[in-house]
Amino acid sequence: MFKTADGAEIFIIDGHTHLWDASPENCLNKYGTGFIDCFHGYQKFLSPPEYVWERPVFCKYGPEKYVKDVFVKGYVDVGIFQPTYLKEFYKTGFNTTEQNAYLKERYPDRFILNGSWDPRDGEAGLDYLTSLVERYAIKGVKLYTAEWKGSSRGWKLTDPWATRYLEKCQQLGVKNIHVHKGPTIWPLSKDAFEVHDVDEAATSFTELNFIVEHCGLPRLEDYCWIAAQESNVYGGLAVVMPFIHSRPRYFAEVMANLLKWVGADKLLFASDYAIWEPKWIVDKFMAFQMPQDLKEEFGVDLTLEVKRKILGENAARLYGIDIAQHKKKLANDAIAKAA
Amino acid sequence: MRQDEVYGQLAQVSDPELDQPLTELGFIGGVRVEGGTVTVHFRLPTFWCAANFAFLMSADIRERVSELPWVERVEVRLQDHCFDQEINDGVNGGKTFAETFPELATGNLEELRATFRAKAFLFRQECLLRSVLELGWSEEAILDVRVGDLPVILLYGQGKALAERYLAVLQERGLASDATAPAFVHPDGRPVAAAEFRAHLEHARRTRFSMEFNAAFCRGLLKTRYCETEEIRALDRSAGARDKHPRLRK
Repeated sequence: MFKTADGAEIFIIDGHTHLWDASPENCLNKYGTGFIDCFHGYQKFLSPPEYVWERPVFCKYGPEKYVKDVFVKGYVDVGIFQPTYLKEFYKTGFNTTEQNAYLKERYPDRFILNGSWDPRDGEAGLDYLTSLVERYAIKGVKLYTAEWKGSSRGWKLTDPWATRYLEKCQQLGVKNIHVHKGPTIWPLSKDAFEVHDVDEAATSFTELNFIVEHCGLPRLEDYCWIAAQESNVYGGLAVVMPFIHSRPRYFAEVMANLLKWVGADKLLFASDYAIWEPKWIVDKFMAFQMPQDLKEEFGVDLTLEVKRKILGENAARLYGIDIAQHKKKLANDAIAKAA
Repeated sequence: MRQDEVYGQLAQVSDPELDQPLTELGFIGGVRVEGGTVTVHFRLPTFWCAANFAFLMSADIRERVSELPWVERVEVRLQDHCFDQEINDGVNGGKTFAETFPELATGNLEELRATFRAKAFLFRQECLLRSVLELGWSEEAILDVRVGDLPVILLYGQGKALAERYLAVLQERGLASDATAPAFVHPDGRPVAAAEFRAHLEHARRTRFSMEFNAAFCRGLLKTRYCETEEIRALDRSAGARDKHPRLRK
């Protein structure tokens, strides 16, 4: 919970968090090392210096540190776990649903636990998806289209098997499809960040919500165009948010574009923890004002109401959380007492 | 001096995604000249930068440097990249992208390059349009500008350079041969109609912004990754023909 100077309470759902293990013991190859070093580079590049971690801590920080950084220091009320399996790079996986479930089981009201699937797993993967719903009652999945598998280097949402998985999601009530575009998608000869497959899937599956993580960066122009056409396409602000510190003008310009083309009701705050800590991002976002020239040019603003939507209300709507009731549930839990 | 000639050629190689020269982006980690053999160290902001763009840039480096009359052999060394070995073997062996990645690629990279040249076209056009709009030009006056007017419409400040850059990309697309043709057109050469001017401008603006944002991201990550300052590179350049492999500090 963030409290403004006037005492207004802002309920915060962090739309993109992880509990990963990239320790040397868990790394399988140079790709595992390269993956975590790339993430660490993101942290070093965009965080204020006091929020840059030492590499060993960054590789494996553990559940206690997560709870402290995200809930106790970081104002967050509910965290969404978005798994990224990467089993070709890490022995037990990088950040699986099962790894994340450890914290969900300890603090059930503090987490939304999402699953994941990979269409290349065929029938067995459909069974796995069903088992995730039975075991954890998941309402969302995070899809990583750049995941390597055998000789394959990625997949698209429009692949025939992906369509079957989306149908299954619709049947099982897994309504929130978080899509992450990574840079090694198959075929390698095409633009890896291209977001047009999301457009097609969103048109075919109107009952599902498609949350495009980091708003389709680095193809913001294509993403804005698609989101403006499709009412069920949302934007996850992971990677966008931290620009608020070292590149505030870029942050303002991205937000002006997103507010105009995607809309204030369709953007979800996310820290991408542990790449960045929510504490400083929330502090800076609450203090941030849209520059006058952009307000006029784009006809948008970042009012307290808009911030409230982005920080919690939009995600609460997607995941069926009643904020007033949920606040009561959290008021006396172990984390609230520790804060 | 030969090394400067090599840097002159490298300045003509751009990142296709950002439309900016590799030399300005800091992607050239060093150049070594030994007789007719040139080794170019090439590096990128992350281990995962898209392999197709990495390949295009490597191949372009090789091609541009090979144009120097005294060059007998060019070796491009992409480093710290998930596909560095494959790309180095492919490019230095004169293979195409599809030959380098027979399992992973469905073809070569012409289509990808064309997509990003169209984006670069809009980027450059928008920069120029913004300058003339800031000067208070009306939409009618802007749409009335002819290709032949471009060298003279803005002769001061940054305007001249923007007009030159735009004219160059028009020439590249074969859209500059008729001096009386409209200057502000779609990437395929269709003139921009008055009724669509605002929508076209907004589209071009989003494209420009996205490319600028990506360039800021890439520059920042590269700097973080290699912890290298401009001064070190300047010293290296003046130091002559010794190997200038970048200082990698992890």
